Amino acid sequence: MFFHMVLERNMQLHPRFFGRSLRENLVSKLMKDVEGTISGRHGFVLAVTGIESIGKGLIRDGTPFVTFPVKYRCVVFRPFEGEVLEAVVTTVMQHGFFAEAGPLQLFVSNHEMQDGMEYQAGDIPNYTSSDASVRIQKDCEVLLKITTVSVVATEIFCLGSIKGKYLGLLNDRA
Amino acid sequence: MSIGASTITVTPSTPTPSSETKSRFERRTPNSKMSVASDSPVHSSSSDDLAAFLETELDSDSDSSSESFPIEQAHDADAQVSNHRLKRQKLEYPEDETENVASLAFSGEISEASSSKVPCEHPGTFGNMCFVCGQKVEVTGVSFGYIHKGFKLQQDEVTRLRDIDMKALQSQRKLCLVLDLDHTLLNSTVLRDLKPEEEYLKSHTHSLQDVSGGDIFMLEFMHMMTKLRPFVHSFLKEASKMFVMYIYTMGDRPYARQMAKLLDPKGEYFGERIISRDDGTVKHQKSLDVVLGQEKAVLILDDTENAWPGHKDNLIVIERYHFFASSCKQFDHRFQSLSQLKSDESEPDGVLSAVLKVLKQTHSLFFQDGGEDLSSRDVRSLLKQVRKEILKGCKIVFSRVFPTKCQAEDHPLWRVAEGLGATCATEVDASVTHVVAMDVGTEKVRWAIREKKFVVHRGWIDAANYLWKKQPEENFGLEQLKKQGTDDVTVEK
Repeated sequence: MFFHMVLERNMQLHPRFFGRSLRENLVSKLMKDVEGTISGRHGFVLAVTGIESIGKGLIRDGTPFVTFPVKYRCVVFRPFEGEVLEAVVTTVMQHGFFAEAGPLQLFVSNHEMQDGMEYQAGDIPNYTSSDASVRIQKDCEVLLKITTVSVVATEIFCLGSIKGKYLGLLNDRA
Repeated sequence: MSIGASTITVTPSTPTPSSETKSRFERRTPNSKMSVASDSPVHSSSSDDLAAFLETELDSDSDSSSESFPIEQAHDADAQVSNHRLKRQKLEYPEDETENVASLAFSGEISEASSSKVPCEHPGTFGNMCFVCGQKVEVTGVSFGYIHKGFKLQQDEVTRLRDIDMKALQSQRKLCLVLDLDHTLLNSTVLRDLKPEEEYLKSHTHSLQDVSGGDIFMLEFMHMMTKLRPFVHSFLKEASKMFVMYIYTMGDRPYARQMAKLLDPKGEYFGERIISRDDGTVKHQKSLDVVLGQEKAVLILDDTENAWPGHKDNLIVIERYHFFASSCKQFDHRFQSLSQLKSDESEPDGVLSAVLKVLKQTHSLFFQDGGEDLSSRDVRSLLKQVRKEILKGCKIVFSRVFPTKCQAEDHPLWRVAEGLGATCATEVDASVTHVVAMDVGTEKVRWAIREKKFVVHRGWIDAANYLWKKQPEENFGLEQLKKQGTDDVTVEK
């Protein structure tokens, strides 16, 4: 789920960036450091939308660096258990399939699929329902529900399930 | 918005107008429309009733096929339990530790309900969770990064998959082939290392849009130029009929994927089976532990023997493909590379074509007689068998090839010759057919010339080893040796 929230970060700046464009340098450094990263608590930081405030800079003892506490607004994406998401299938295997919802990698095990779904190996491995009405293969869109979220050292992995009403294949590949 | 029961064929567990369920959910935050779980008006929202209901429902035998109603209810009860857990979790959201506990409990619920109480064996992990049940488990097992990042499988699971794979391959009459990239199927060079006499190649590069016909490509974005080995397209096409193929290279993943796009634009030969050095388990070494095929059905094609310390019996060593000057320099060779000589390996008669013949031979030996008992066949012993045909019938004596200090039988060249099917001896006698020497002046050589036996230098054995065919002895006479004065084995036809 997406959130638009205020986060805080202490930015260290080298004196060569001081001057008229100090604030710009600070902001661009912030964006470079933070956009695209993953925080365990907040999830994926997708984009910085604005700066709330920049506090007074403090010189660190013994170094010329100055630390500014910066409060900034940003869009974050964090998966939750029970959340229902759309995802695109990337890899299909005997154990299940991998899908991605933007930066989030998910795995749906074959135990978490409807009872009729069978794995078909071959050139294009896929999961097909018993009446062949549903076929899930690479680049398909699926609606899935997140069952477990795990954060491992700045990586977020999720397990999902398509066993449920309205879950499963949305579209065939375009 | 109300969903009338008359308009849609529904079972009692469809979502109802929000008014009835508001009491249960009014404490939820507005962001929490996450529960797809249905809310049935039939069941009251009190947890005591729910627990009692659950017990009765799960204890009784419900016939899944005939009546949908009890199943719906059971599912529904399930959903209600999960609602409950979700709700509890929602309230505790600000605290991360409790959330993790709740998530464990939640996923525990899911696994219990769905796997009908069979304890999960945790065949592998995704991140640090078992990908079947979602529990956090210790991360051990072999990492299969080339399938997906963060994906690991336990050794038992790998064995199980290998067995399944073996059966599938047998029914398709295919074996496994692991291919190296550099100097085996292609030769790459960094643009910086191009010599002036190689600049002409830049105008001969093929378009990247349609790679099917071409063999030399300029990859500006990687600062590289790549030349595919002659015959490689036909080789891959023929080999794919007999083998499921893997790429295993010591390059990094982006390089491996880019090369795969050049060799296999449609993805039909390799699919996702592209193993790079990021996916190997031991640094600077290759191993079959990340290959999901049984060792006795895998053949490896590589130019470097030392890269495969544990699997020398599965390995077919191929002559290195030096197209670019930088490649020769890398191996300290003094001869000119193919690009400098403005020539290339012969397509129909080249190294890949010879190797393809060997692969075909081994494959047909494996599947001959069409017997059911293919589980006893081992590709490694079959490869040895094929190799022993090459110099069958030759008896070889070595003269001044081995240092006097060492045991002749232990010398690698002796071993190679024996592997090729020849018999080796230390003394001359009437049955000897070849004398391998490095110098014309020895006793044995003079004896051989008198007795009209073949006199060759050791390149004859090496060539037979690389080309899998007995070479004409005239090309390896000792006069040749004096002329070349290099340590290269180039075959002249």
